[in-house]
Amino acid sequence: MIEIQNASFAYGKEQVFNNINLEIKKGEIFCLFGPNGCGKSTLIQCMLGILKLTKGMIMLEGKNVAQLRPFEIARKLSYIPQSHEKPFPFKVMDIVLMGRASYTGIFSLPDAEDEAIALDALEQVGMHRFKDKPYTQLSGGETQLVLVARALAQKTPVLVMDEPTSHLDFRNELRFLETVAQLVKTAGLTVVMATHFPNHAFYFENNQVRTKIALMNNKKIVAQGFPREVLTEIHMSNTFNITSKVVSYQWEKGHLRYIVPLKTY
Amino acid sequence: MLTTMKKKIFLAILILTPLLTIFISLFIGRYPLTVGEVLTVLGYKFGFVEADLPLNNINVVWNIRLPRAILGAIVGGSLAVSGASYQGLFRNPLVSSDILGVCAGAGFGASLAIILFQSQPFFVYLFAFGFGIGAVVLSYLIGFHYHTTPTIMLVLGGVIVKAIFSSLISLLKYIADPYEHLPSIVFWLMGSLATARYEDLLLAALPMTIGMIGLIAMRWRLNILSMGDKEAQALGINIFFTKSLAIFFATLSTAAAVCVSGVIGWVGLVIPHIGRMLVGNNNIVLIPVSISIGASYLVLVDNLARTLTGSEIPLGILTSLIGAPFFIYLLKKTKGRGW
Repeated sequence: MIEIQNASFAYGKEQVFNNINLEIKKGEIFCLFGPNGCGKSTLIQCMLGILKLTKGMIMLEGKNVAQLRPFEIARKLSYIPQSHEKPFPFKVMDIVLMGRASYTGIFSLPDAEDEAIALDALEQVGMHRFKDKPYTQLSGGETQLVLVARALAQKTPVLVMDEPTSHLDFRNELRFLETVAQLVKTAGLTVVMATHFPNHAFYFENNQVRTKIALMNNKKIVAQGFPREVLTEIHMSNTFNITSKVVSYQWEKGHLRYIVPLKTY
Repeated sequence: MLTTMKKKIFLAILILTPLLTIFISLFIGRYPLTVGEVLTVLGYKFGFVEADLPLNNINVVWNIRLPRAILGAIVGGSLAVSGASYQGLFRNPLVSSDILGVCAGAGFGASLAIILFQSQPFFVYLFAFGFGIGAVVLSYLIGFHYHTTPTIMLVLGGVIVKAIFSSLISLLKYIADPYEHLPSIVFWLMGSLATARYEDLLLAALPMTIGMIGLIAMRWRLNILSMGDKEAQALGINIFFTKSLAIFFATLSTAAAVCVSGVIGWVGLVIPHIGRMLVGNNNIVLIPVSISIGASYLVLVDNLARTLTGSEIPLGILTSLIGAPFFIYLLKKTKGRGW
């Protein structure tokens, strides 16, 4: 689906990441995990064509992202940002409809079909009751679900998320993860997700969603593979300078793994 | 969503309101004409009535009041729509049509023409329009970086350009002949539609109309641009092109508006907000509504400007004096609607 080959990016002389190689397969959740400032968000913006790699390339279904036009990328990748400023109190429906922009010409308006798709997307995340509400009145969790609906209205095979749960409370975080897991399982979507929380990757793996994780540190990919392979006590120690324990528990769905941070050093 | 029938009625109201305001203003003015006399002139001009009319009546209704009202409507619509567009584009509801310095540039151009060419209307228009556009181009170039135009840089560019042209206007005022040129400059800067004639109307209406139609056509894109550069691009928009096009249309209509009417404040900032309170923030609806309200409002205020006192009150003074209480009333009534 997405192949990242020898990718490097620099702001002027400041190297953000160097020589990164990744392959993201269809139907999996791919987590990008690493400390603050390791370049996850930058890599994501390069995938979306917002930033341009300084070296290497990103292939999207066999085509170089750098050579695709914004609407072509937007029909393959949709984006759920980390935080979203709300400049105007648009209605929820107006926001979701914006997902149809890449299918609409510069001088045209969304039509009845676009509206039907948007409404359907809202239903998929369980937010259709809010469609006529100003989205400035939604909570952080609800806003994030509306942005997922907007991404779904984009009808892309891949959803790209940048730390999507950073402003959510305990329940809303879980609700968000559940929604994502559900979408991957039932709709066959691929998800790329930058995250600060290793347990997000474990959450998906524990729930039998095909999950991969890449650990980024010092401008490189340190390790990649299944969460159970990558999220080890050694890796946590080397990357974050912490002592942690991976705990495993047998439950009805198989292994339940979790990483418990214990101490910094 | 609205049903088709409701949409049609809504559209009819949007178009009819400014037309009705224009029609009403034909009956208003210092030259005493009865309703019958005005109607006779209209009937005569449209070919329904055969009559021997006093030339004065025809002149007042057809050559003075009508072009002035039409000009007022187009100017009002232009200022309001560019204000609404810029608010979306800059993701800031406090922005007005003047954000990129078009008024300051046009003011300088007009002042320069008043001094250099003894207030000849043609040169005043030309200079005001040219410098208005020039000011925006300058702001744009200052804000332009590596094929993108970061919002904050554009705003900063506008601030700088406005500062430059404001100083230059002061300089011109300082050196202008205090009996001949200075009053014209000051009066021009306060805004007026008094000079409206059909020739001016034709000249200025074209860019204003192109700008308005352009912004109406791309109004949904304004919604998307207001999501910010990153999200807008991820939604599939070529932000550089789309932004530039919106700025182009908005500049065309504001510069043309300012060059015939002088600096009229308030309309470009607050009319869009009145629209927001009435119909919400979706630009699909807001843009046409802003044009309609802006057009009706300016014609209405101009009627007051020319009838309230013995001599004309500059339009720029009245737009905010009358608009402010109305705005406060709406604010209280709608509780700001979601803000």
